[in-house]
Amino acid sequence: MTESGDLMTVETEPKPTSIVEQSDGEGPTIRLMSSQLELDEAGGIAPAGGDQRVQMEFADDEVVFELDELSCFYGSFRAVRDISLQIPRNKISAIIGPSGCGKSTLLRSFNRMNDLVDTAHITGAIRYHGVDLYADGVDPVEVRRRIGMVFQKPNPFPKSIYDNVAFGPKVAGFKGDMDELVERSLRRAALWDDVKDKLRQPGTALSGGQQQRLCIARAIAVEPDVILMDEPCSSLDPIATLKIEELMRELKENYTIVIVTHNMQQAARASDVTAFLTMGEDRAGYLVEMAPTQDLFTRPAHRLTEDYITGRFG
Amino acid sequence: MEPVVDDIEQRHPSPRATFDRQLDRVKDDVLRLGARVEQALERAGRALIERDPDLADKVRWEDAEVNELQRQINTEITAIIATQGPVARDVRELLALYHAAAELERMGDYAVNIAKLAQQLAAEPEMPILKQIPRMEQICREQLRSAMRALVNISEEEARKVCERDDELDHLYSSVYEDAMQLMSVAPEQARQATHMLFAAHHLERLGDRVTNIGEDVVYLATGQVEDLNP
Repeated sequence: MTESGDLMTVETEPKPTSIVEQSDGEGPTIRLMSSQLELDEAGGIAPAGGDQRVQMEFADDEVVFELDELSCFYGSFRAVRDISLQIPRNKISAIIGPSGCGKSTLLRSFNRMNDLVDTAHITGAIRYHGVDLYADGVDPVEVRRRIGMVFQKPNPFPKSIYDNVAFGPKVAGFKGDMDELVERSLRRAALWDDVKDKLRQPGTALSGGQQQRLCIARAIAVEPDVILMDEPCSSLDPIATLKIEELMRELKENYTIVIVTHNMQQAARASDVTAFLTMGEDRAGYLVEMAPTQDLFTRPAHRLTEDYITGRFG
Repeated sequence: MEPVVDDIEQRHPSPRATFDRQLDRVKDDVLRLGARVEQALERAGRALIERDPDLADKVRWEDAEVNELQRQINTEITAIIATQGPVARDVRELLALYHAAAELERMGDYAVNIAKLAQQLAAEPEMPILKQIPRMEQICREQLRSAMRALVNISEEEARKVCERDDELDHLYSSVYEDAMQLMSVAPEQARQATHMLFAAHHLERLGDRVTNIGEDVVYLATGQVEDLNP
């Protein structure tokens, strides 16, 4: 379960220990389980009100992830409770919520990053294109190749720009034209023009925003299907942030993007759908409302959402 | 007891304190604007009935203050949107207030138009004002007050009542129209007065529609749904 193959280490998180540091909740165990969300037939938002959870439903061929009553545990501590939701294809889905509500834990369950935490486990299911990600026989390394991740702080390898991008494909046994792949990845990450004349310089010499785009290029290079982003702009200045957001909009043509962000304006600006999580009495995060971003930020269906996004609570 | 609460609040300031203060200020200004327009309307109506060109003149001059207050409200709201990034009900409320201020400014213009008609009527030989007109003017002011209450209290119920009552104004206007037409045919020498009164009634009817628009804004603000309540 916790095998961390080269590919995964390379492509996603160079220092697995940071997962523990960054995980929500104090306990070191995660487990996903739940979601009992009700969606209406039309795929719209269920009628608002009360404690009813609000959910969205997409056509079968639009669904990349389907969470079914997912709960995530660290040991006996339940960080995320009973989340059911669908992540749509070629869209940017944002996950927002107060600190400690399990946003990152939830995101990490999408590519089994939490496997790296010994005590982490889940209940319920995550289906990725219909396949149970946590079923026996599923190779977490392959999971992480298809479902890449970009982290809060840009974390290029202490290698050249070129090697940062080429590393993942090399490890994965890529046999094609590496120069072409590196250029394509850098172009897609909107970084090519900035670095084409200095590909042999260290990635760490770039600016913060450029480093984050390099990390995105590195994630793209192994041709994933999904890119998970955990607070990708929290260490960037506003201009670099807007560049990443523009890049996300371009990338969604080819990839499905899920982003966790503390920055509600970023979720409002950059995402297509938004899921709002909050914490229950037991400190486990649960889903309150998932809706088209425009609706969630102009007329949220749930009182808890309204209170959170308008700063009345949280 | 009170000081304890204050103390707690000081130690735990609401994250919305600044926003709420700014929003309250806008609401106060919109209420002041509403009060000014109501006063202008009352004076214009009285000038019409009492054939008082000086009072009408006052309405015309003071409209500049109405316009200035509306500009000030626009500036305040623009600044809040730019600096606070309001969402959900907050942004709906600011937009409703912005639009209400614009409607109030326009209502102020109708009051000015009625004041001008009062001056023109005062220059004509005297004749009785059609009785529906003072009634319309009174309903307009009541409607305006209700709409402002609905806006400030975000009362969907009161807003809907405002919109429903607009039919009354429409009926009175139709009645003025019929009476004015008849007057013109039986007493052509009074055609000018009849026309002035018809226009005054028309301005009041239009003013009522503007009030209804504010009611619709309140319903949107309360529910997030756009509805046409004056079809």
